[in-house]
Amino acid sequence: MTTERIPVYCYQCVAGPDLLKVIVRDGVAIGVEPNADFAEIHPACGKVCVRAYALIQKLYNPNRIKTPMRRTNPKKARTEDPGWVEISWDEALDLLTERLKGIRAKGLLDESGYPRLAATFGSGGIAPAYLGTFAAFLAAWGPVDQGIGSGQGVKCYHSEHLYGEFWHRAFTVAADVPRCDYVLSFGYNGDASGGVTGVFRHAEARVRGLTWVQIEPHLSITGAGAAQWVPIRPKTDAAVLLALLHVILHETDWRRTCDIPFLESMTNSSYLVGPHGYYLRDPESGKPLVWDLDRDRPVPFDDPRLATPALEGRFLAAGVEIGADGERWSVAEAVRPAFSLLLHHLLPYTPEWAAGVADVPAATIRRMAHEYLEHANVGGTIDVEGTTLPHRPVAVLLGKTVTNGWGGYECCWARTVMAALVGALEVPGGILGTTVRLNRPAVNRLDSVKPGPDGFMAQPLNPTSREKWQGQPHIRNAYRTLVPLAADSPWSAALGPAHLPWLFMDSPPEHWPAPTLPEVWIIYRTNPAISNWETGRIEADLERFPFIAAFAYTQDETNWYADLLLPEATDLESLQLYRIGGTKYIEQYWDHMGFALRQPVTAPPYDTRDITDIATELARRCGLSKEYIEAVNRGAGVGVALRGEGYDYALDPAAGPSAPEIWDRVCRAATRSLTGGKEERDLAWFKANGAYFVPFSEKRYYLHTAMKAQGLRYELPYQERIKRMGAELANRLHERGITWWDVQLQEYQPLPAWKDFPDIWAKIAVKHGRRPEEFPLWLLTSRSMQYSWGANVSLPILADVARHVTGHFGLMLNRGTAKRLGIQDGDLVEIESATGRTRGHAILREGVRPDVAVALQQFGHWATPVARDFDMPSLNQVAAMDLDLTDATGSGADVVKVAVRRV
Amino acid sequence: MRWGMVIDLKRCVGCQTCTIACKQEHGLPAEIFWRFVADCEVGEYPNVRRLFLPMQCMHCANPPCVPVCPTGASRQRSDGIVFVDYGQCVGCGYCALACPYRARHLIHEVQWYFPGGPTPSEAATSQPERHGVMTKCTFCLNRVDAGLADGLKPGEDAAATPMCSVACIANAIHFGDLDDPESPVARLIKDRGAVQLLPECGTDPSVYYLTE
Repeated sequence: MTTERIPVYCYQCVAGPDLLKVIVRDGVAIGVEPNADFAEIHPACGKVCVRAYALIQKLYNPNRIKTPMRRTNPKKARTEDPGWVEISWDEALDLLTERLKGIRAKGLLDESGYPRLAATFGSGGIAPAYLGTFAAFLAAWGPVDQGIGSGQGVKCYHSEHLYGEFWHRAFTVAADVPRCDYVLSFGYNGDASGGVTGVFRHAEARVRGLTWVQIEPHLSITGAGAAQWVPIRPKTDAAVLLALLHVILHETDWRRTCDIPFLESMTNSSYLVGPHGYYLRDPESGKPLVWDLDRDRPVPFDDPRLATPALEGRFLAAGVEIGADGERWSVAEAVRPAFSLLLHHLLPYTPEWAAGVADVPAATIRRMAHEYLEHANVGGTIDVEGTTLPHRPVAVLLGKTVTNGWGGYECCWARTVMAALVGALEVPGGILGTTVRLNRPAVNRLDSVKPGPDGFMAQPLNPTSREKWQGQPHIRNAYRTLVPLAADSPWSAALGPAHLPWLFMDSPPEHWPAPTLPEVWIIYRTNPAISNWETGRIEADLERFPFIAAFAYTQDETNWYADLLLPEATDLESLQLYRIGGTKYIEQYWDHMGFALRQPVTAPPYDTRDITDIATELARRCGLSKEYIEAVNRGAGVGVALRGEGYDYALDPAAGPSAPEIWDRVCRAATRSLTGGKEERDLAWFKANGAYFVPFSEKRYYLHTAMKAQGLRYELPYQERIKRMGAELANRLHERGITWWDVQLQEYQPLPAWKDFPDIWAKIAVKHGRRPEEFPLWLLTSRSMQYSWGANVSLPILADVARHVTGHFGLMLNRGTAKRLGIQDGDLVEIESATGRTRGHAILREGVRPDVAVALQQFGHWATPVARDFDMPSLNQVAAMDLDLTDATGSGADVVKVAVRRV
Repeated sequence: MRWGMVIDLKRCVGCQTCTIACKQEHGLPAEIFWRFVADCEVGEYPNVRRLFLPMQCMHCANPPCVPVCPTGASRQRSDGIVFVDYGQCVGCGYCALACPYRARHLIHEVQWYFPGGPTPSEAATSQPERHGVMTKCTFCLNRVDAGLADGLKPGEDAAATPMCSVACIANAIHFGDLDDPESPVARLIKDRGAVQLLPECGTDPSVYYLTE
C-alpha cells in the first residue's frame, strides 16, 4: 500500500486560494488535509474549509459528463430532451472549430457591431484559477463579448467594487480585523463568505475582545458571533448610515471627536464649492481653492504656506467653476468648503428620522455612533514593521444587497465618509481595500496609486466627453457607454450592467443597436438559468441561442440548452500555477506572496481534458497558434510574462506545447519574477513542494503609505468628479435621444441623499398590474459557506453536512409571522411575487424579521443531479429583471417583495 | 492521562468543516455523523442569540454507555477514550439509549452517496467491520496512538491529533491531556471557565465548552 500526499490549491471561493494536500492511496484520492508545510505562512495556518474536503467527491462523481457530447435534438426547451450523444474529443473540437472558423470568415463583429463570439465565466474571481490558458486563446481570437452576465457581477458587492476602487483602490473592502476593536457590520457575512482566512481572523479577534455589531434583517452566520444583532428593515441601511454621520457631526463636537488633520490634508473637505456645485478654482492654474484661515483668503489646495484650511463657514471668494463639457462660470460670491456642505447635507438625517425608516431605535443608532467614536482612537499610532502609522481600530462593513442595487452608492459613500471622519481609512485598524480589478497593476494595489487631477489619484474612468465617449457599445452590456466607473480593464465586462443583454433581447431600448445573439457562446462554470434573476426568462432566451459550447461538469440548467458539452478536467485533474498571497479579497492578508500549483493527483477517472490542452488545440485548429503562444508569452491567462528582466522562457510561436510544457515555463518565469531573477523553480519542484513564497510587507496593506508618499488626497466627502461625469453622460445620452437611463443618471450626486429605496422594489408590483400591499414580505438571500461559489451543488456530501446549518433546504420565516399565516414548520409554502411563483418548505426561526423571508444561496435546480432533488426555492425564480431595479453602476440587489402562503 | 477536548464556542461558526473532515477521516457513509455542529437559537425575536454547538461523543469519565453493553463491546481505555470493539458488538442499541448526548450511531446498512454503488474513494475507505454495529467518535484514537508511537504529542502535532481539531478553520477545537495542569486544554478550562454538557447526568464528560 502506497500513500502519497500531493499539494494543490483550492480556489472554490474568491476568498482563496488556500493550500491543501490530497491523500492518495494506491492511486485513489481518499482525502484532503490542511497543508501544514505552510502553517507558518498561510494566514489561517494552512487550513481549508468544508468545500475543499468535497473535492474528492467532485473528482469521482458518477454524475459527471464523462466524455464530450453533442445535441441531436435541434429543438431547445426545458421540456425537450437534448438527445445527447457521446462523441470523441476530436469530433467535439471539430464541431466547435467549424463554428469558430465560420465566424472568422464572416467577420468578428456582427451587423450591430457586437462580437459574434461571446464567452461567460462564472463566479467572479474564481474562474481564472481553473481556466488554464483559455484566456490566451480568447486574447488571440480578437473581440469577444465577455459581458453577457450570469448574475455574478451585477449581484456582487457591485457599488463597493466600483466606488471602492475609485475612493481607495478597494475592489472589496475589509476591516483590518487583527488591529480593529469595533465593527459595525451592515449585513457583511464574512463568517460564511470570508473563507478560511476570514473565519480565522474573526475568531481570533472575538477572543481578543473585538466588539462586532451586526445590523441585518435576519441573524446570519456572522451575526451569530456578534455582540449584538440589530434587525433592520431591508434596503434601509443608507438611512442608518446617514444618521450615524448625523450623530457624529451634529450631536458631538466634531472638532474634538474627528480626525481634523486627516480631514484637512487627506480629503477634499476644505475645497471650496461654488454655487453650481463644482469646486471653486483658481482661474490661472485651474486648481481647487481652499480658504486659508491664517491669511483670510482663498489659495490653491496645494499652496505650501497653507496651514489652517477652513472646514466650515461661508467665505466671499472669486474663482471659476468648471462643469460638464468644460462649461465655465466665473464666480465672485459667498462659497463654502465641502465639509460645510456635508454638515448641512446631514442635518435632516436624525436618528429619530432613521428610526422611522429603518425600524432601528434612535437610541441604538446613537449608541453605535458613540461607541464608534469611543473606539476610534483618534490621534493614536501603532508600529508596523518599524514604521509609525495612525491606528484607528474602527470599521464599518457592508454586505451584498447593501452594496448593490439602489442605495448601494449611498451606503458605500456614507461608510467611507464614516472612516474618513476619524481617519480610519487605509490605516491600521480601519477599513482597507483588498485588491484592485479595475486599476492596474492588478497584482499590487499600492502601485496603482498615481497622481491625478486636483490632488487626487488618477482614475481609469470611461470617458464621457463629447470627443471620447464611446456612443457605440462594443459589447452587449455597454459598460464603456453607460458606466464611467466601470473602467476598461479585463474585468470590466463582468462588472458592467451584465444583465442588460438579457433584458434588451426581448425589449430593445430606443436609439440603441439592435440586440443580437452571439453566434457562438462559450460558457464555463456558470449557470445563468439558475443564478440570474427571472430564470424563466433566461431559459426562454437560451432557446434562441444558435450555438452554445459548454464546459460541463454535470448536466445543468443552462447547458441543457447547449449544443456541445466539453468535460474539462476539474480541480484535482488539471495543471495550473496561480498567484497567491499578498492582499486579496475577501480577507486574504498575507505576509508572503508567491505562486501555488494545482496538479492532477491521480489518473482522471473519465474522458476529460486539461483546459490548457483544449485551448492550445483550439488555437491550432483555428489557425491562431502564433497569436495564442504570443498571448501566453505576454502572460495572458498564466499570470506572469514569460519574458522578463534577466529571464526568457518564451515559447516558440510555431510550437504546439503540452500543458506541462507551458506550465513548466510559467513556473520558472514566476519564480524569477518574484525574486528579481535570482531564483528559479521548475514544474517538478512545484509538484513536490506546492508553492513558492517571498516575504510581503504588512505596510503594503495600507494605501495610506502610498497616498502620503505621493501627497495625494482621498476624493471624499464631496463628489465633484462624479457629479461632472454624470452631467456629461446625461448630455451624451440625450444627444442621442436616449432617455431610458435618466433615472440612473440621478445617482451622480456630489453628496448622496436618502431616497425611498424600499419603495423602488415595492412599485414593481404596480408595473405588473398588482398592488404593493399584496406582497408584504421581503424575500432575501444569504450565504451558505458550503455552497457558495464552488459549483458544487451536485455533491451529495455537501448536502449531507449542510443540513446541519439552518436554512438548508427551505424558506426561513419568522415564527410569529408564520403563526399569523397559519404556517407550521415544514409546511409546503408558495412564494409569490408580482412576476413569479415558487415553492418551498417553511423553516421557522426567531432570528428573522417578521417582514422578511430568507432563501439561502441560489437553488431551484431542475436538471443538475442531486440539486434537482433539493426542492429548494430560489429568489431568482421570483425576482424581476428590470431596468427600474438597475442602479447607475449597472447593478441590482437580491431583494424582492413577496407573499407567502401555505399550500 | 485523560484525553479531552475544549471547544471554544466563541470561535465556532458552524461551518461543518470538522463534520466533513471527520466523515472523510473515518470513511463514514452518507447520513452518519460521529460529530456535527448544531445550529441553535435561543430567545424570541428580537432578543435572539444564534449559537453553534459542536456535538460528538463526550468520552465521559463515567460513561453510561459502557455498563449497559451486554457484550462488553463498549469499553473505556485507561486514557479515558471510550470505544466500541466492533467484533464484540451485536448492534443491540442499548448504549445509544443510555447516551444522553445521542452520540452513538448504528450503521444498519451502508448508504453510498450515489445510487450506483461506491465511488473509488468510498470503496477505498469503507470499513465493513462497522456495518451492523454501533459506531461513534473515537477521538481519532488511531491517530493518537500512532502519533504517540512516533513520539508525537497529541494536541500539538497534527498527525497525532483528532482530525476535527486539525481541520477546524477557527481553531475552536483544542485537544490534550486534561490531567496535565500545564496542558493547553487544562489551562483553557481553568482560565476561561469551561463547562460540560448536561452535568446533571453525572457523566463527567471529557469534552468541555468555552462560552465566554
